[in-house]
Amino acid sequence: MGNGVIIDGFPSMEEIKKANGWPTEKRFAKGPVAIAECVQEIPCNPCEGACPSHAICVGQPITNTPQVDREKCTGCGLCVAACSGLAIFVIDKTYSETEATVSFPFEYLPLPEPGDKVEALTRGGEYRCEGTIVRVMNPKRNDHTAVVTMAVPKEYIDDVRTMKRLNAPKEETVFEPVIPDGPIDDDVIVCRCEEITAGEIRKAVREYKGESVTEIKRRVRAGMGLCQGRTCGKLVTRIIQEETGKKPNEILPSTDRPPVRAVTFGELAGAKEGGCGDE
Amino acid sequence: MSKIYDVAVIGAGAVGSSVTYYNTLRGADVILIDKGDIAEGTSSKSDGNILVCDKMPGFDAKFAKASQDMFPALSEELDYEIEWRQKGSLYLLETEEEIEIAKGFCEDMKKCGIEMRILNKQEVHEDEPLLAEDIPAGLETISDGSVYPIGLAYGFALKAEKLGAELSLHNPVKGIDKEGDLFIIHTENEDITAKNVVNCAGVWSPVIGEMVGLDIPIQARQGQILVAEQTFQVARRKVHEFGYMLTKFQSGTYKRPVSERVERNGVAFVFEPTAANNFLIGSSRKFAGEDISNDIEVMQALAERAMRFFPVMENIKIIRAYSGLRPYTPDHMPIVSGTPVPGFYIAAGHEGDGIGLSPITGKVIADMIAGDEPFMDLSPLSYDRFIK
Repeated sequence: MGNGVIIDGFPSMEEIKKANGWPTEKRFAKGPVAIAECVQEIPCNPCEGACPSHAICVGQPITNTPQVDREKCTGCGLCVAACSGLAIFVIDKTYSETEATVSFPFEYLPLPEPGDKVEALTRGGEYRCEGTIVRVMNPKRNDHTAVVTMAVPKEYIDDVRTMKRLNAPKEETVFEPVIPDGPIDDDVIVCRCEEITAGEIRKAVREYKGESVTEIKRRVRAGMGLCQGRTCGKLVTRIIQEETGKKPNEILPSTDRPPVRAVTFGELAGAKEGGCGDE
Repeated sequence: MSKIYDVAVIGAGAVGSSVTYYNTLRGADVILIDKGDIAEGTSSKSDGNILVCDKMPGFDAKFAKASQDMFPALSEELDYEIEWRQKGSLYLLETEEEIEIAKGFCEDMKKCGIEMRILNKQEVHEDEPLLAEDIPAGLETISDGSVYPIGLAYGFALKAEKLGAELSLHNPVKGIDKEGDLFIIHTENEDITAKNVVNCAGVWSPVIGEMVGLDIPIQARQGQILVAEQTFQVARRKVHEFGYMLTKFQSGTYKRPVSERVERNGVAFVFEPTAANNFLIGSSRKFAGEDISNDIEVMQALAERAMRFFPVMENIKIIRAYSGLRPYTPDHMPIVSGTPVPGFYIAAGHEGDGIGLSPITGKVIADMIAGDEPFMDLSPLSYDRFIK
């Protein structure tokens, strides 16, 4: 049944039912109905305003998960496109004797056409069965989030939530890394805050035995300035990599230390209005 | 039979690097071993103050002065830039009671040959114009200075290597056996054989001591530091509050007029300008095991205390905070001595003075191993003083 959204990246049935409830079979028998599969307490409520029947409630605090009033819900599907998390679906179990439909948000081009046979996928993206496209709604107000309605055999309707992209890259295709065009010149400034050049960093590796970003920092100050190495850390790693032949994942980054962003003494001591002192 | 070193030094902080350097200078065949990098532990999490002003009059001050006097020559003889600057230092006296204690302290230090003088209100404000207006007096030490502490350790270690010493870094020591007069040091990479071993592992020296059956009473005493952005000159040289002495030695009955969070975290104001035109703010003291995270309350207390003496800091930014572990001994003096295990020496437990005391420590250990008389009676630093 799945390990939940934190581990799998998509919610389990238990999580969905706990956070949002689930329509009764009696309700399913009446026609299309919206199911919110929004299980994380995210500060978000466009679904609430999108529903013309006022059937969805988030309320206060805004981190509540949405509750659908199944009796008010007409299954119109306006909430499907409104959900920025792509987490609301409309299920119609009355579509035919053997098939049910799921209406889901779809943001990949090209969009399918009614009548197309497509691969119906589960929440986790696994192939479940063949689906037939019934309807594609993509009005301007949806802001490029099309709502696709797809029919699948009834036994799969609780699992199927999307379709496979029509021009998905082949499995074996991978992203090509950007290959740098040769080493950085010695006189190029790598650490801008402290004005440390690539040449000085190479010296720290060759002559002073620096092997990690922190070790380079201690030797030549690269990363000791205002930005605390946020800008130069990657370049320093690349130079160490070129010099030592180590892989990037074998080169330790510098140690993160507070504050995340520079704060003034006044703010820290809490002497100033709006400072972090009391928080 | 593998190579036999004259001296194996365990711990490549400022102290261990110095011990390596001075033994190498004496012609010994030396290997410096560390579980990590040069200056990876306490030496990279310290400030760079080279002080005599915060020592107790008597042996403590004389030993520190002897070390301080070695820096001008070191800045010439080491190849790495150690950023030695000698501008003196200034103690700030906050209350009448502190002024009285400071007067006596000043006299006692003069008797040890350490030049200090009391500055009255006008003098202290002329000396540091951005000081809080109500500060009534100061105490100036002429000879104090500062270095880049990490650079000092590199300077010692890299120069020693150039002179023939061997560096064995990123190589943890797993155990030590004694076979006759020789020590077999089992490390992750190899077994190392040496006639003498010097334990310079600072906070971690008890672990090394245990390997030869010695109980070393050193504990980690955490300190946190704030790093400010590069900015205008807040103060021209090292400035700290006289109350620093009291938090360091935990002595006397005098109570500073400070907030609870300052008191609770042993926070005392220390300002150190760096060669890169930013400055460091210390200091705090607490026993927290080997925890080197920063906590917000200590950071707040450090900022609060700094602004009490230099209100102008209010709008200056803090870019980083860090925390390190001082190797603390119960009597605040380091252990620099031989031990009941012949050939096994300890040079550790310098608390917050390891950078400043590293030159003299290296030198006297080299003297001891060479069998020379020490330049002064070093019994206050003996390991024996802790044997019950």
